[in-house]
Amino acid sequence: MERADGNLRSNLAERARGVGSLRDFLELLEEHGQAVRWSDRVMPEPDLRNIAVAASRDVNNAPAIIFDNIAGYPGKRTVVGVHGSWDNIALLLGQPKGTTIREMFFDIAGRWGDASAQISRVSEGQAPVHECRHEENINLYDILPVYRINEYDGGFYLAKASVASRDPLEPDDFGKQNVGIYRLQIQGPDRFSLMTIPAHDMGRQILAAEREGVPLKVAVMLGNHPGVALFAATPIGYDESEYAYASAMMGAPIRLTSSGNGIDILADSEIVIEAELVLGERVFEGPFGEFPGSYSGVRRAPVFKVTAVSHRQNPIFENIYIGRGWTEHDTLIGLHTSAPIYAQLRQTFPEVTAVNALYQHGLTGIIAVKNRMAGFAKSVALRALGTPHGLMYLKNLIMVDADIDPFDLNQVMWALSTRTRADDIIVLPNMAMVPIDPAAVTPGKGHHLIIDATSYLPPDPVGEAHLVSPPTGPEIEELGKRIRQMQRGDVR
Amino acid sequence: MTPAQCPRCGSDGSTADFRGVDDGETVWTIWRCNDCCFSWRDSEPASAIDRKLRAGEFALDISDPGRFPVVLQPSNFQK
Ligand SMILES: Cc1cc2nc3c(=O)[nH]c(=O)nc-3n(C[C@H](O)[C@H](O)[C@H](O)COP(=O)(O)O)c2cc1C
Ligand SMILES: [Zn+2]
Repeated sequence: MERADGNLRSNLAERARGVGSLRDFLELLEEHGQAVRWSDRVMPEPDLRNIAVAASRDVNNAPAIIFDNIAGYPGKRTVVGVHGSWDNIALLLGQPKGTTIREMFFDIAGRWGDASAQISRVSEGQAPVHECRHEENINLYDILPVYRINEYDGGFYLAKASVASRDPLEPDDFGKQNVGIYRLQIQGPDRFSLMTIPAHDMGRQILAAEREGVPLKVAVMLGNHPGVALFAATPIGYDESEYAYASAMMGAPIRLTSSGNGIDILADSEIVIEAELVLGERVFEGPFGEFPGSYSGVRRAPVFKVTAVSHRQNPIFENIYIGRGWTEHDTLIGLHTSAPIYAQLRQTFPEVTAVNALYQHGLTGIIAVKNRMAGFAKSVALRALGTPHGLMYLKNLIMVDADIDPFDLNQVMWALSTRTRADDIIVLPNMAMVPIDPAAVTPGKGHHLIIDATSYLPPDPVGEAHLVSPPTGPEIEELGKRIRQMQRGDVR
Repeated sequence: MTPAQCPRCGSDGSTADFRGVDDGETVWTIWRCNDCCFSWRDSEPASAIDRKLRAGEFALDISDPGRFPVVLQPSNFQK
């Protein structure tokens, strides 16, 4: 852990508030040894994948890697792993390296909401993202140094693109603009397909545009403000703005400008691709190595036609390794999946004390709650299944008491070992489930499993065992320190 | 350039989408299958782009397009 005296802490917080773009963040990461430049010549395949995978094995400390010497892409740069470790997430939050996941969870939860958002506007002429502009003869391959992320992917993917769009039926509503990360497969020089599900905002907008026969324009942002990338992957309400949430979390303004096709985009992104949905057309998409650690199969997906591309001078193409975990996907999305479930649950159940939905985008989640009465935790679990993310992702839910830290799996296992009875297990079969769950018999359907590992309360029989309360507190901490010193030979 | 055979579905119809050039020399070409939408770079390891070496479960038969799930199915969609 970095020496985290008061000075360092306030400097870090100040530096994080000053981050307004990917470039700013890479600079901050480099200062802390959390970004490295890879200047040896690499082949797009398999070298980029291999290096990204090797880095992401170190979930706590992996640096971002900037490649600037890729065969066949002279002068182009790509970066992976920007959100690829807990230390990188800590620095983004203005915290020292080594900050625990639990501390970051409460930090993010404490900044949750959009009340303090500051949005500033930059004219198109002043926005760095529009420094260079292409409106004719567009070839995405000429701009983006892409590579095959997993060996059997169906093509070249933009897997960390934040897609901004307006509600096709209410285009003037700021809040109903959406920003989301959806995987995009390049389908020729100026076309790409987009993969999503009806439960996601983008899915709703595509369905609505095709039903009403109205155009759906999008702006695909690449190489973005790292705080906005977190919220692009966050399930917030349909009429809430990802930009506003990101600003509130960063405690700093978010600079927006307009894309050429009239969508609010980040003024300081590296690259933006403007495109329009081809109504009613579907093309073969996939397979793609996905976050559960398996390929999602070939499907026929909506397709977009590119109308223009803007980018900064000498842009950095940002991408991600995603596949069997841990990967950057997990550190990027983990806490921002947990925090909204926590915030949404606490609106009705303030007894909820923490939520850990780090595992496979929440396919397994752990919720800590103070039981108000016997059986209460089960009701809280059912409420969690009704949150936007719970609906199709919270497949296995473990409920624990507030004396358990859900981020400490040793404690969670203790609760499972000692606090479950046969009638504490609920299986809800044949429910909606995210289609890429590899266990699905019918993709799109699945079960929810609730294990209530909270302790028993009357009127249930509570049994005769009484808890051991081992000594805790400063005295025990001191003794622990002394033992470690003795072990190192510092003290005899 | 003569179209390359698709490593995934075996179709002979493909389009060269882009050539990577270093110091005036082509170092690889990106191809796209006109039938199954697979894209590949001809410099990739053979296990991914040689039809004989590719893992069998990643071959694709598109003779019955109706068997592939449609994402966000439009109400009037003709399979
Ligand atoms: C790297 C990465 C890739 C993702 N790919 C997809 C995707 O292909 N399709 C999708 O629907 N969601 C994908 N997601 C998840 C969504 O971004 C996330 O669920 C988000 O909350 C959706 O926002 P929405 O509910 O506003 O549509 C991805 C997330 C990350 C971090
Ligand atoms: Zn093919």
